[in-house]
Amino acid sequence: MAATAREAFRETAPNISEHSRARALLRLNFSRDSVSGNTLLADSFQEAPLKVVRAFTLEDGTALTHLHNVSGGLLGGDRLAMQVLIANGAKVQLTTTGATRIYRNRQGFSATTQRNEISVGEDGLLEYVPDATIPFAGARYLQRTSIELAAGAGMFWWEIVAPGREARGELFEYEEFAVRTRVSALGRKIAAENLCLRPRKDKVSSLARLGQYRYAATFYICRVGLETAAWRGAEDQLRELTTSMTRRREILWGVSSLVAHGLVVRCLARNGREILPGLQAIWRSAKRHLYDREAIPPRKVN
Amino acid sequence: MKPESDRVSLTPSEALAHLQLLHLADSALPIGSLAHSFGLETLVSAELLHVGDLPDFLHGYLQEAGTLEAVACREAFRLARVEGKEFDAARWVEINDCLSALKPARESRTASATLGRNFLHAVLGVENSHVLRKAREASLESEGLIHQSAAFGLVSGALGFEETRAVLAYLHQMSACILSACQRMMPLGQTEATRILWNLKPAIVAAAAGSASLTLETVSCTMPLFDWGAMEHPALATRLFVS
Repeated sequence: MAATAREAFRETAPNISEHSRARALLRLNFSRDSVSGNTLLADSFQEAPLKVVRAFTLEDGTALTHLHNVSGGLLGGDRLAMQVLIANGAKVQLTTTGATRIYRNRQGFSATTQRNEISVGEDGLLEYVPDATIPFAGARYLQRTSIELAAGAGMFWWEIVAPGREARGELFEYEEFAVRTRVSALGRKIAAENLCLRPRKDKVSSLARLGQYRYAATFYICRVGLETAAWRGAEDQLRELTTSMTRRREILWGVSSLVAHGLVVRCLARNGREILPGLQAIWRSAKRHLYDREAIPPRKVN
Repeated sequence: MKPESDRVSLTPSEALAHLQLLHLADSALPIGSLAHSFGLETLVSAELLHVGDLPDFLHGYLQEAGTLEAVACREAFRLARVEGKEFDAARWVEINDCLSALKPARESRTASATLGRNFLHAVLGVENSHVLRKAREASLESEGLIHQSAAFGLVSGALGFEETRAVLAYLHQMSACILSACQRMMPLGQTEATRILWNLKPAIVAAAAGSASLTLETVSCTMPLFDWGAMEHPALATRLFVS
């Protein structure tokens, strides 16, 4: 990673066009206090509209941090970058204060870009448990995420994508929603996702894509170092839960082992109401299984 | 040189390459292709996919999975065709690692790797190729998988086939195999299956063309429902297919 936040920003969001709006970097460095064992937000660099107020210490010493976008959402042409460094042994929970809204792109503006770079040190833990992302009609959104996990590092990372502002009947009216995610453990890729939905170009309701479902969620559950057989056991255990939550015409849950060091859960749903409770149920079960500890759902500001 | 359509005959080497490609791209090549549905069996079992949906489904399948596999096929092909340089074993392992990471469902990932390993083994049984041996050694050494599309591309490059023909042949056999699985799961007769595969050829050509300028970093593959089917295949009470 770059030595300074400015360098990091140049690396993570190059080629910013004249028609860009916000260019902002949020950099969070977490470390473990050797005396108390609690995780602290040791250092941060924040540029508007990206903001964190403070880190709250949960009962197990985890640092809970709410990610704010003070502009209320992502605007066309925004180039945002987030870097999170979690030091050895530190435990961090990141969440949002509400759904992430991606507004329509105005003519002449480049796509909204969000770049995330995450590093979890040895025996560290990241729980990234945000609300849904809602691309509005006309939105163009490109997200790039790279996550590096060191030996013994763990991660619970979910993302939910909505079809639009469903309550006002706005379904799949965005231009483009593209998410590229890479998860590496000990320098080797263990999960990758190149998702791209262009509803005006490709048939989203094709059975090869979303079929009759409108919402999609992905949940990565990782702990570096566990053997393949242990992941098969975890997969079987979680499948009992996901099968019990599946109702074929309404919501589908699936779970599978990654090539190493983790599991992935997929959800497709007709509506978004049951997704978050379902993800939280899986989180609780997986955390008990992998860490013998309870998951602590984040307190929300709103 | 005249266009191929105007020529009376192929050169002996072109004719031989053509026959070899036909042989290797035959969906009946005994590497185990017919044992896998790659999750389609779950969608059929859940009554989410019916015969009438197949043309639309396969079209989307080729646009998404077809393009991804075509890109992997091309990248491996080009790796085998770098003349005058030592085979880039690290890149070969990287291509396969990337494919492993892009395949979220355990059974489908294992299926792709089983077919890739079997395919490479079958070709090494009839062709003594330095590049292919190096690739197999590198994968063994790194404990990485060998995926079918990458193996097909590498073999095609090593045997001197033409790149686009190889990609088209790969996508065609991929479509034929998935359709064959459908015939065993659904009330789909030979005539209708033939018609569907015939009508898919423009989509195969489009997927091959679309893959030419992409890389494994830039190609997208968005198949959440198909992924769900592949991920939940182990949970089916009765199964015809391994994946």
